[in-house]
Amino acid sequence: MEEKIAVELKNISFGYSQDITNIDDISFKVKRGEYLTLIGHNGSGKSTIARLITGLLLQRSGDINILGETMTDDNVLRLRKNIGIIFQNPDNQFIGSSVRDDIAFGLENDCVAEDRMEAIVDEYSQKVGMKNFLDKEPTNLSGGQKQRVAIAGALARHPQILIMDESTSMLDPKGKRGILDLIHRIKKEDENLTIISITHDIQEAYDSDHVIVIASGKKILDGTPDEVFNNSQRMIDLKLDIPFFKKLNIELENKGLAKYKSNSLESLVNKLCR
Amino acid sequence: MSIKLKNVSYTYSQKTPFAFEALKNVSLNINDHSFLALIGETGSGKSTLVQHLNGLLLPTSGEVQVNNFLLSIENGKRKYVDLNKPQGKKYHKKQFNIKDLRKYAGLVFQFPEYQLFEETVLKDICFGPKNFGASEEEAETMARQAIELVGLDESYLSRSPFELSGGEKRRVAIAGIIALNPSVLILDEPTAGLDPQGEREMMELFKRIYDSGKSVILVTHNMDIVLKYVDEVIVMKDGHLLTQTTPLKLFQDEKFLANTAIEPPFVFKVAKELIDNGLNIDLGKIKDISSLVGEIGRVKHE
Amino acid sequence: MNNIALGRYVPGHSFLHKMDSRIKIVGLIIFFVAVFLTYGTVVQNFIMYGLLFLTFFIFIKIAHLSFMSVLKSLKALWVMMIFLLLINTFAIKTGELAFDINGYEVYWDGIIRTGYIIIRLMLMIMLTTLLTSTSKPLDLTFGLEWLLGPLKLIKVPVHIFAMTISLALRFIPTLMEEANKIMRAQSSRGVDFKEGKLKDKFTAIISLIIPLFVSSFLRSGELADAMETRGYDPNGKRTKYRRKHWKMKETLQIVGCFAILAVFVLLAVYKPDFVSMVQGWF
Repeated sequence: MEEKIAVELKNISFGYSQDITNIDDISFKVKRGEYLTLIGHNGSGKSTIARLITGLLLQRSGDINILGETMTDDNVLRLRKNIGIIFQNPDNQFIGSSVRDDIAFGLENDCVAEDRMEAIVDEYSQKVGMKNFLDKEPTNLSGGQKQRVAIAGALARHPQILIMDESTSMLDPKGKRGILDLIHRIKKEDENLTIISITHDIQEAYDSDHVIVIASGKKILDGTPDEVFNNSQRMIDLKLDIPFFKKLNIELENKGLAKYKSNSLESLVNKLCR
Repeated sequence: MSIKLKNVSYTYSQKTPFAFEALKNVSLNINDHSFLALIGETGSGKSTLVQHLNGLLLPTSGEVQVNNFLLSIENGKRKYVDLNKPQGKKYHKKQFNIKDLRKYAGLVFQFPEYQLFEETVLKDICFGPKNFGASEEEAETMARQAIELVGLDESYLSRSPFELSGGEKRRVAIAGIIALNPSVLILDEPTAGLDPQGEREMMELFKRIYDSGKSVILVTHNMDIVLKYVDEVIVMKDGHLLTQTTPLKLFQDEKFLANTAIEPPFVFKVAKELIDNGLNIDLGKIKDISSLVGEIGRVKHE
Repeated sequence: MNNIALGRYVPGHSFLHKMDSRIKIVGLIIFFVAVFLTYGTVVQNFIMYGLLFLTFFIFIKIAHLSFMSVLKSLKALWVMMIFLLLINTFAIKTGELAFDINGYEVYWDGIIRTGYIIIRLMLMIMLTTLLTSTSKPLDLTFGLEWLLGPLKLIKVPVHIFAMTISLALRFIPTLMEEANKIMRAQSSRGVDFKEGKLKDKFTAIISLIIPLFVSSFLRSGELADAMETRGYDPNGKRTKYRRKHWKMKETLQIVGCFAILAVFVLLAVYKPDFVSMVQGWF
């Protein structure tokens, strides 16, 4: 069974100016249909990686492969059609003067036939739960609603890869939850969709398929959530957040209570109370 | 130095078809040296309330008292009474300028990085104090104190605020308000958009400020922060003040929580579950994972 | 009745609101032409201008707008009009003597010349206000883009101007909110935006403008990234979501507009003496 690689970075290095290196020899593979979370402190280079993958930035050295093809100056526009990216600021990616105009913006760029656009706008606004807001202006929408529209606009172009660059960082908890639930729902509907999520949300990382930890431009850890979060001490040293029970277990160990270490509430209750 | 609100209501765009009552008959008392959290869903009136504390907004009805400054409305006219001054017959005259209020209650908005504009960090931090009459030297002294308090090195003072990272900019912005030496520091979602470490460092900063004798009021959605740091919580919903209580009492009131869609922090839920199953830990001591483990240790070693 | 702050769109469902913006723009241009043509004697001219005023008044009623607020919005012009009157009556000493104030002679030609200027200005402003009050800014942009389409043949980037304008329109409310936020933040640092010495007011404005500029630059960078990653190519071929329809109604309306233009042109060319004609009927 052939496993397609959606995105591959091979020894990528990059710097915003000549004398600094923001990305230092990073390599990783993202399988088709995978949900990858990229975590790291602010300034670690996570967003830079997203922009390299979409060809917004040009790497100093190394190759980026999208769906098997190496990105070059000649094919970057074509390859980019396979990628949708949702940025952090809900306002600064909302281009249309209304919800429907914004979803249609990408369709216009793709030269979708005019008589087909209305149906597509309807379909995707429905998918993200914004069907009743089609004529609303962005100033009358919440951050979460604007991000939903951004997702609709991205998905309407049928990308194979969806990148979420800290798309929930500026939202309140309700908005965050809404977007995460939406993404999970969409992933279920389309198993082949590859999702790369740059996030601080440790729970989201724990629930994903593949976790990569970036610090100071270097790749530190790469594996399944269990593999990565077993390196709890390393994560703590990097001043990153770790899942609740991992934190709890480290504290228990440190206070001589290692026998109560657990990975779930039920197990903890059993060990402490029975 | 205390803050009192008595029956304060506020309507946006009064007398237009877009009128919206954001605050409905809110009364509260904030005592000297408090560490308080203001919570509620987006749209509950938190921002509106907070802007009454430093006089950015004036109530459409009711009274606001900040320290000795009393703002009220009588017969449709605003009264500005300075309680330190003798009250003669001429109390209809403005006894203070609204601007004076802002020295006592320093307000830091969400994403305050965008308010930076001067050529150097030093100049920007001095901007506030100078607006309130500080001399060049006085302002500089306050700026140096403030930058130290927010955890940045003095070398930052000569740099341009625009070349700093997001987290550093935020600290400079906060230093700009701290330099005013307010008695109360009010912050609207100060940890929004920060990574976990940034959040931790920011909260430790506010704890230091509280420990130095000031009151700190945080508007936040983060219940972990509420449990770990603050003494009091005010809950807002639809413009009403639902309650002013302690985190412990709030997180134990299950009916209230269900009604307001507030989720207690996970560590609290875990502690409660353990207690419900017979473990004799003191719920009042649970502030975070570390204290939970501490309690478990105390109980198990007895 | 709705108020018109000079030029702002007032929602509605009148005949004018529903009219295609391209036709409205063409109609406005036709009225401008009519305003600048001359129709013979002074009396005849003023009669024509009166007719145009009447037309405007009728349109205002059709669009359910408030005439009084249009007049109020012209308040700013009164000063200029008085100024013009003084200059013209001082400089123009031809025609019959109108009156004599303590040796200062005012001739009719000066008054009439000023009258023409003022009436034309008023008509142009009022008619333009009519256009902007009954058309959504974005519709106007699309209308203009379509009308200026032929300029593309001589390599004028009409589509880029249209995109720039529609983006600007989209962000005006956002920028206003941002300015509001910045003002509140700076007020919290002791800035007084209302009172104070000139120097303080200057600092106040700087503390608003610089952050606004900086954030706008950053915003436009992020916008550019978003547009690029969504496949936008300013010079590439793009289809249009908002299509303009052209049905029989539009054809009739545009024919009507040109018919009106023809009438005005004919009147201006032949300058019929309708004053005598009307007098003759009685």
